[in-house]
Amino acid sequence: MAAVETCDVLVVGAGFGGPVAARRCAEAGLETIILERSRVPGEKVVSGLVIPFYGFTFGPDFIREGNPPIERPICRVVNRFVRGGEIYATDSTLRVPKPLALGYSAYCKPFCTWLADRAVEAGAELRTSTTAVEPILEKGAVKGVITDRGDEIRCRVLIDAGGTQNRLAIQAGLRRKYLPEALELYMLWDFEMAKEDVDQTFGLSMEFFHALPEEGIGAPLGYGSTLYIFTYRESIHPGLGQFLVTRGEIPNLAKLLPQYFENFQNKVTRWKRDIAPKVKLRATTWDVCPIYAGLIPETRNMPIFGDGILIIGDAAGFEASAFGDGVPSAWFSAELAAEVAVEAVRRGDSSPYVLREYEKKVREHPYITWIITDWRRWDLRKVLVSGDERELRRMIRDHWGVGAFRYRYSGRPLAKAVREALRRDPHAPLKWMEMFTRYFRNWEENRFDPLSVS
Amino acid sequence: MEIRTSDRFPGVQWVGDPGDFIKVDEARCDGCANCVRVCLAECYEIRDKKARVKTLAECMECAACWYVCDKGAILFSWPPGGTGFRTDWG
Repeated sequence: MAAVETCDVLVVGAGFGGPVAARRCAEAGLETIILERSRVPGEKVVSGLVIPFYGFTFGPDFIREGNPPIERPICRVVNRFVRGGEIYATDSTLRVPKPLALGYSAYCKPFCTWLADRAVEAGAELRTSTTAVEPILEKGAVKGVITDRGDEIRCRVLIDAGGTQNRLAIQAGLRRKYLPEALELYMLWDFEMAKEDVDQTFGLSMEFFHALPEEGIGAPLGYGSTLYIFTYRESIHPGLGQFLVTRGEIPNLAKLLPQYFENFQNKVTRWKRDIAPKVKLRATTWDVCPIYAGLIPETRNMPIFGDGILIIGDAAGFEASAFGDGVPSAWFSAELAAEVAVEAVRRGDSSPYVLREYEKKVREHPYITWIITDWRRWDLRKVLVSGDERELRRMIRDHWGVGAFRYRYSGRPLAKAVREALRRDPHAPLKWMEMFTRYFRNWEENRFDPLSVS
Repeated sequence: MEIRTSDRFPGVQWVGDPGDFIKVDEARCDGCANCVRVCLAECYEIRDKKARVKTLAECMECAACWYVCDKGAILFSWPPGGTGFRTDWG
């Protein structure tokens, strides 16, 4: 017989955002349940993942103060410009001295498990192997979900952290499925590589391989992620992607994506000479990501809250249009949603009148709006028209080079976030330095917090 | 639960029986083959000018097929909890 139960806050999804929201709600004393459809948090999450530093410095305290399982600090971005399989120029101007880091690479499963462990530790209840099939709707208000076992879980506030393909907000009549123009299909390859080889070949760098379309090693510029190699502790993670709509048409991505990577492996000397002899393929995966959700008005303007529901992370379209990662925005929006959910439960009112505060907080956040409306990747389409390699190099310098920190790009949200952090806590920079130093030491010693499931 | 692997896509497992979590509404399908073009797992085939789910054996639940179907002919849902695609290397 189907069960009916109630809680204060129901979080759907234990990816990167859900556990953060759940921990905050549980810390505030709310009865909080997280539903996760996989058996172990993160094992259905696919991402070539380097989480940028601003997610850590301006995100949840408990992540900054904890010892999550990072794979490698990334201190330098190396941009390789390729023609005829050879590198004709390199831009590695975006760098910071260790122990500072531009970001940290990570595997999704251990990192999401670590986050879910922190939510459970705070008192949230995690239910894995449970799919939320449809929302419970009463007079247009979301009152909970029905699970795949037919159970009803009713709540005062639902936090929807179901990721890109999430259907709950669509079923609730709030949102529509993303337009294919907003979505990139990306493919990833995980290669084992001895740590000393990763250290020697890449150090604390990640690499991009930029080229004009005739090189055949990636999507047309501005229509996808150029081929990248993210570096992990004892592995590397090449990846690339292309939007589901390219120049107005749906391309044959089933053929193109593997072909780009095959061309890269066969043509590019850097791979053939320096990397291929030292690696062994371990995994091939892919997923879809709403990278241009914030750039396309129909998608950007879809609601992120409704009666009884708050939508966070990829489910809300908070994906970085230029950098392509969604983790910092998932963390930021999770904290904002939790603040609003706690207030709604305290007031006994989860109507849109109260929950709209979430949208206001999202708009005022130094990073979220900037992250989803950054045109730098889209604008690479200009080079498709000009075919000008110098223009490509100039644009990449402003994207993945030192120009990224210009005030008109990352500089503005960074300055605003620093100001806000200092207003809240004048000692914040000391805490950031402590975090960078500890994270680096953790990495050197390969010692992180234990996980509930390995 | 049974765990399957694939030679084509190493490092990935498919757990248990996820059932028909993706279906095609033939009445709506116009045979445009967009789903075929974006499916890296080769789940689809076109037969009698209609898309048909051939197999979901290597589906990674990305839903690209659902997004590119502007006729609304692809019906996408999540597999039951604990079943379907999983990986340690995502």
